[in-house]
Amino acid sequence: MFTPNPPITASSLNSFRERRQLAPLLLCLPLLLLLLVLLVWPLAHLFQQSLLLTNVPAGRITLRNYLEVAAVPRYRHALFWSLELSFAVASASTLICLAPAWLFTRYQFRGKLIIRGILSLPMTFAGMIVGFLMVILLGRTGFIPQILERMTGSPLLSGVSYQFPGLILAYLYFEIPRATLTLESALSKLDSRLEQAARSLGANRWQVFRLVVLPAIWPALISTFAVTFSVSLGSFGVLLVLSIRRFTLLPLEIFTQYIVPPTDQGIAAAMSLTLLTVAFVTGYGLRRVARRIGVTHA
Amino acid sequence: MKTNRIMVLAVALLAITVSLVFAEQIVIQYDCIPNYANWGGVTKAYQEKTGVQIPPDMKGSSAAMTALEAEEKSPKADCAYYSGAIGFQAASKGLHEPYKPKGWERIPADLKDPNGTWWTVHLAHVAILVNTSALKGKPVPRSFDDLLNPIYKGMIVYDDPRIQGTGFTFVSGINAVLGGGNNLKVGFDYLKKLDANILKYAKENSYNELLRGEIPIWINADGNGLKAKNVDKAPIETVIPAEGTITMPLVMGLVKGAPHKEETKKYMDWLLTDEAQQLMAESYFQPVIPVKLESSLQAKFPPESAYAKAKVLPLDQLAAQADSIKKRWELEIESGR
Repeated sequence: MFTPNPPITASSLNSFRERRQLAPLLLCLPLLLLLLVLLVWPLAHLFQQSLLLTNVPAGRITLRNYLEVAAVPRYRHALFWSLELSFAVASASTLICLAPAWLFTRYQFRGKLIIRGILSLPMTFAGMIVGFLMVILLGRTGFIPQILERMTGSPLLSGVSYQFPGLILAYLYFEIPRATLTLESALSKLDSRLEQAARSLGANRWQVFRLVVLPAIWPALISTFAVTFSVSLGSFGVLLVLSIRRFTLLPLEIFTQYIVPPTDQGIAAAMSLTLLTVAFVTGYGLRRVARRIGVTHA
Repeated sequence: MKTNRIMVLAVALLAITVSLVFAEQIVIQYDCIPNYANWGGVTKAYQEKTGVQIPPDMKGSSAAMTALEAEEKSPKADCAYYSGAIGFQAASKGLHEPYKPKGWERIPADLKDPNGTWWTVHLAHVAILVNTSALKGKPVPRSFDDLLNPIYKGMIVYDDPRIQGTGFTFVSGINAVLGGGNNLKVGFDYLKKLDANILKYAKENSYNELLRGEIPIWINADGNGLKAKNVDKAPIETVIPAEGTITMPLVMGLVKGAPHKEETKKYMDWLLTDEAQQLMAESYFQPVIPVKLESSLQAKFPPESAYAKAKVLPLDQLAAQADSIKKRWELEIESGR
């Protein structure tokens, strides 16, 4: 009937622990190797490049490239604009995605799967395609200005795609789906009985949301923000098509430094590492914040 | 079981031979934009004739040169096509190796390098390409000065000179057209004023956007405008500006260490035949070798008098200044919000 477990000895416990540590390590080995080849090595190369001046190939190690990124107004602006854009896009898409993500986790309705499928489409588009879509939609002769012209007599919003708001819209187009799917997976872990309990204790819908749901999903919101922020920080294909005048983003400057003669790999490498550091620090910092909030509310 | 294995082997062998055959029948040309100088049509004609494929490549002149520099140790491209000055620059950087295609002696002496590291394949002129229906009743601009009129605000596009050769030719040449001196001040002053009317500095080819009317005014090569009107039947007028224009030799060179060298030489020979030159003329780029055009085709080109004031810029000087002109444009025109 009931067989007692064999007595636990120190040696069997040890070997059990060892196996427990070894197996995951072995399973992670391919990933670790991949990281080494695709992350550590290129980063080391990039770092070395960023410390050398392009014009002086055998020169001494220097921080001149980093100083130049800070000193040249164009590069400095590029960094600030990148941060500005990513912040705007990340906060807007996190806010906007809250409702659809909630809808997907809490309600069953027909066509849910297909809607989610359609929603994930924009994430697969390359930046340049999104750029062309924006031109078709909000260019000088875009679809929307033409409709507005028919309705109001003047082509409102014409050419918005070549301005900063157009760029934000384009980024939202592919960030909202990403944010929705990220948030949805976090929301699905939320215990719906908490809300039911609050409701049965007499809280109205708003109170349930503000006092029960919101504190519980804060960490998820913050990590959604972190994901969209870092993705926005790195993409520039949209801008390549929209070519907004007197505006640039740090990744576009990196691209330009690499392809436009006179090319300067040193500066490009310094810019890349600056961008990487910013992305890493914000991502890591936000995740720590999210965890702390998560712990206090658990 | 046995037949299965034989089948697999046969299919594998077939795949290898096919890929080998195809590997030989390809020529990689950097800056082979289908909607520029009708490279799409020209390369298609060559493929139909010989079976050799020349895939499209969307790099502009400067991007092509940079790519060749980056790949210098193991070249991926066989030949490249550029606006004159950038091609000259690429040749002086040692990215090309000499080759004088058949028909070489028919190219005028000032349009080729005596050693054959670059040579002109056809010529064009900077022109104002206007989609007349997109102007919505506004007058067609006739001169560079007209373009400064505030009625054209947000309607004018020229190519980012840091990437596209035609944009570079315009930016570096406008000074001479307007009678400026060596320091290009007159030209840059003009570009600063023009900036107020610019929709964008295009980094990509804008031909289709011009056809659609998304871009009403594009400063680009005359041939592209004439093709838009006569071949693609769009309402495009090609205006040779009243102040004059810039003659732009478009040049090619054989890449040093080209992977398909022999095929490329044959292709280059063909580009200078009457047949290919005629084909370029039919896409409204001026052949470098005088070919007899049918009078109906000749009539579609602007009259020779329109080009009377066209400036021919010395490629060596332009090439020497290319990097600094691009930097200056970035600083004075493109920087600051």
